[in-house]
Amino acid sequence: MSAKNVVLGLVIERPGYGYDLARRLQERFGSSGFAPTGVYSALDQLTSEALVRSAGRRENGANERAAPRTIYEATPKGIDRFEEWMLRSSSLAPVRDELYMKLALSKPHNLSRLIELAQAQEEDCLARLEHLKRPAARPRGGPTAWPEVAVLLVRDAEVRQLQARVEWLQKARSIMSKLNGVSERDAARGDRVA
Amino acid sequence: MSGQAWLSLERVSKSYWRGPHETAVLRDISLSVYAGECVAVWGQRGSGKTTLLKVAAGLEAPERGVVSFKGRDLRRMSKVELVRLLREEIGWARRAGPESDELEMLDYVALPLLKQQTLRRARRRSAAALARVGVAECSKGRWEDLTDGERTLVSIAHAMVRKPSLLVVDDPTANLDVLQREEVMGLLRSTAEQDWLGVLITVPDMPSMVHAHRIGSLSDGRLLVPSGRSPERDNVVEFPGRGRAAPG
Repeated sequence: MSAKNVVLGLVIERPGYGYDLARRLQERFGSSGFAPTGVYSALDQLTSEALVRSAGRRENGANERAAPRTIYEATPKGIDRFEEWMLRSSSLAPVRDELYMKLALSKPHNLSRLIELAQAQEEDCLARLEHLKRPAARPRGGPTAWPEVAVLLVRDAEVRQLQARVEWLQKARSIMSKLNGVSERDAARGDRVA
Repeated sequence: MSGQAWLSLERVSKSYWRGPHETAVLRDISLSVYAGECVAVWGQRGSGKTTLLKVAAGLEAPERGVVSFKGRDLRRMSKVELVRLLREEIGWARRAGPESDELEMLDYVALPLLKQQTLRRARRRSAAALARVGVAECSKGRWEDLTDGERTLVSIAHAMVRKPSLLVVDDPTANLDVLQREEVMGLLRSTAEQDWLGVLITVPDMPSMVHAHRIGSLSDGRLLVPSGRSPERDNVVEFPGRGRAAPG
């Protein structure tokens, strides 16, 4: 999936300039792997298709010599296109994971390193979880606005994916450790025989 | 974090015998909880979360390692001191509820105070504790009438009514939906910050950790902590004064 529709959605939520949109993309979808610089090519594409347009320029206050920033807003065509995207079915992302590939192609002598890699990735999952932390508490009672609930649900999905990953990593690590113990004993026995 | 930890575990190990086999539940675990912070430890079923809490709260002694509370090694405390510590300094929120179905929540939460205080005074503090966690309306209710979310909050009020320094909660968000979970976890975080309390929780669900100040994961009896590596770091630059953001 390209960043185009996501950037269009962010512009519809609130007009903004490239830097601002890149920051919002990172804040909202940081773990999705969109390169922040992709915002600029997405804006170029959206502009050429007349889905967004300039809503004016903002002077670069602190730096007088810097060029003014273009503020983008959605066109009516852009809003229609975004609504079409919302109605389309959503594809399941392909699983193309480097650790899976290494595991599938590994040999017994790779087990020690794979165990280390699995532990490092578990620690990385916790680090990613730390990035998803939101300190603000929701006030008790009263109606809850949909945008707030939507953010919670998306964060929930991301965290549950991380949890599933960690659970798998722990199981894989446990099995690999057992097998590694067996293969190391076999190797030692082989050494003795040799 | 700076200053002295309310709770400190240093290289703690604990194992159980299951038949002829010794099973290591905690291996070389070091963990601190400071005043004003909520620490969450995640683990799968059977990973040793409850044992960790029991050791941290002084209910079980480790085989190796040191557990200290406000700098005092629990092993060097007399039984009387340990009982006093458990009664006054550490609050364990249990969701078992009162033994009597007839007890109103105002009296249930007041129970831990009744040995030292009059019923009237204990009820006043109980009402304040229930209001503090946002369930003042449950004071006249009975346990069986409460929702899962209300039971959790009443249990926290019950554990906090003595104003402990450390609050310990095993799986505070069990059976709660996303919004109730946010409320309970938001409360635990704000309680830690505003009441200058150390909060230690264990959870089987990672989404419950999102509000904690620090997190860890129990695996094979060992505690893993975040790597410090950001998986997104290659795409991200520091945004002066605004945390992480994209280059622009």
